[in-house]
Amino acid sequence: MASIGIIANPASGKDIRRLVSHATVIDNNEKINIVERIVLGAQALGVEKVYIMPDSYNMGYRVEDKLNSCKELRCEINVIDMLYFDSTEDTVKAAEYMENKDEIKCIVTLGGDGTNRAVAKSVKETPIITISTGTNNVYPEMLEGTIVGMAAAAVASDKFDKDKFLLKDKRIEIYRDGKFLDIALIDAVISRDVFIGSKAIWNMDTVEKVFVTRSHPASIGFSSIVGCKKIIYPEDNFGAYVDINLSDKKTIAPIAAGVVEAVSVSQPLILDLDNEYEYVTKGRGTIALDGEREIEYAKDQKFIFRIRRTGPYHVDVIKALEVAQMKGFFIGG
Amino acid sequence: MKITNEQLKEMYLTMLKIRKFETSAMDLFADGKIPGFVHLYIGEEAVATGACANLREDDYITSTHRGHGHIIAKGGELNYMMAELFGKEDGYCNGKGGSMHIADATKGILGANGIVGAGHNIAVGSGLAIQTKKTDQVCICFFGDASTNQGTFHEALNLASVWKLPVVFVCENNGYGISVSQERHQAITDISVRGASYNMPGITIDGNDLFAVYEAVGEAVARARKGQGPTLIECKTYRWRGHFEGDPTVYRPEGELEAWLKKDPIPRVEKYFIENELMTEEEIKEMNDNVDKMVEEAIEFAENSPIPSLESALKDVYSDIVEEGRVR
Repeated sequence: MASIGIIANPASGKDIRRLVSHATVIDNNEKINIVERIVLGAQALGVEKVYIMPDSYNMGYRVEDKLNSCKELRCEINVIDMLYFDSTEDTVKAAEYMENKDEIKCIVTLGGDGTNRAVAKSVKETPIITISTGTNNVYPEMLEGTIVGMAAAAVASDKFDKDKFLLKDKRIEIYRDGKFLDIALIDAVISRDVFIGSKAIWNMDTVEKVFVTRSHPASIGFSSIVGCKKIIYPEDNFGAYVDINLSDKKTIAPIAAGVVEAVSVSQPLILDLDNEYEYVTKGRGTIALDGEREIEYAKDQKFIFRIRRTGPYHVDVIKALEVAQMKGFFIGG
Repeated sequence: MKITNEQLKEMYLTMLKIRKFETSAMDLFADGKIPGFVHLYIGEEAVATGACANLREDDYITSTHRGHGHIIAKGGELNYMMAELFGKEDGYCNGKGGSMHIADATKGILGANGIVGAGHNIAVGSGLAIQTKKTDQVCICFFGDASTNQGTFHEALNLASVWKLPVVFVCENNGYGISVSQERHQAITDISVRGASYNMPGITIDGNDLFAVYEAVGEAVARARKGQGPTLIECKTYRWRGHFEGDPTVYRPEGELEAWLKKDPIPRVEKYFIENELMTEEEIKEMNDNVDKMVEEAIEFAENSPIPSLESALKDVYSDIVEEGRVR
């Protein structure tokens, strides 16, 4: 039986970026619409069971109710029975449940870089498809739910050579004083902002260093600062880091939605996979992971940044559908 | 956003004042010393404190029936507030307004308000006054989640946006309108999304995180001062007590209060002080003791204040203009 999981972050699309940049609002009713389309796309191609993360807006139940009321639901929807607290931990726990559930062969996420970072803390083997529900994301893509449902069905069918459409992603591992602390999928930023507060980071004046697993001028956020000087693809077996506010030379980069700034940035230095960069803090500050301040630090703390290919298996939706088409997956009726 | 250690300590002091004032009001009400109703702000201290820390004395706020925290954060005097709660002559309204009508125009406090949703349009009016006078003042409008179902909320956001008024709408989403949970009175979870309907930025933040509130409202206030218009900020928070003192809170699911007690905004700031060596535990205790004394003094002030005279019953009821009209 083909089963998929869906993690829709109810908190994404509403943070302070709507105030300090020109980011788009995505409300939970729109996420419900997207999840409906994923379910419809998936069940049309053989998915029989869909597991959904619970949340306080009951998105999973609302999807089930809406599809039942229009008599279009043919698969089983199972909202995971777990305690939730409207926090990031819900995503980590739901992803862990899905990773350990053998019948779930593909997980679809709705959220931003932060959502997928939380998923990546738990998911090592199950392939993920990532839908962006914001405007400041690098890791998830802007994809139509119906198509994602079809691709998830193809992945979950276990009928195809997954090497043709899966990539094991890189991630940055952060250690403090020798102990593993956290991860980032795209970028880690050392900032002199002294508190976490509203989490998002946008003020370049306080930024010291940026580490990236990938970089491209077509991305948005801090990785674009590196990307406007050097392109690093997800397939490359290295990442890079730069110093901010030390060089006389400036690079114009899209640091947030609608915010394109000239940033003082050094030449990117390559950080090969599994190599480490050591950083000793000079005062108080924070480290932002995938665009959100997560770690507060004090003076004289030793951090290690290491890039490894230990992230999730990420599905290339277009390639997955191409492989499925070539193998006749869509023949039916 | 920059914040000095002194600013942070000042905000912590304000949070303590609110918590201890409210805890005392709770006990005094139970002892029968406070007449009427009181709606306590315990648990929501980070919202008023973080928001008002971005204001100047000449800026404005509008408040709600749960207004003690807003008034303290905007500089209200504990003595006069407590005397008002006691119904005494030295209170802010000479003892005739009580908990839900405290105002101090000299500090820009345009009043608590016993009517749900009545502050929205007062805030828009003050925003229009600011714009007309061409100053760079700002008005923060505090309100609860259930008031966003009132027509006043939608009218206020609409006009504030059309006229680009310097108003910051701060929604304290504590999950309940009286005894009705948000999921039973609204088809949305995040009130911030309603900002999009009125072409203004709307964001949701953790209302129990002082830093998050300070930062977000700071950005919105700066935007308003620059003439860029209003902002809607939804602060997710929780009132520890019932809607009013005496409310048995039977509508709360088991474990909900306990979960929110763990998110108490005050220890979060204390932890930050200790971890960053900004205050010692002794200094924190000393500040707590000082605030205890301030509240004790306020209670003593209220107890010693006279009861309003019988002759004052009709004073301030009609304005002079109305009186003149009657004569004519």
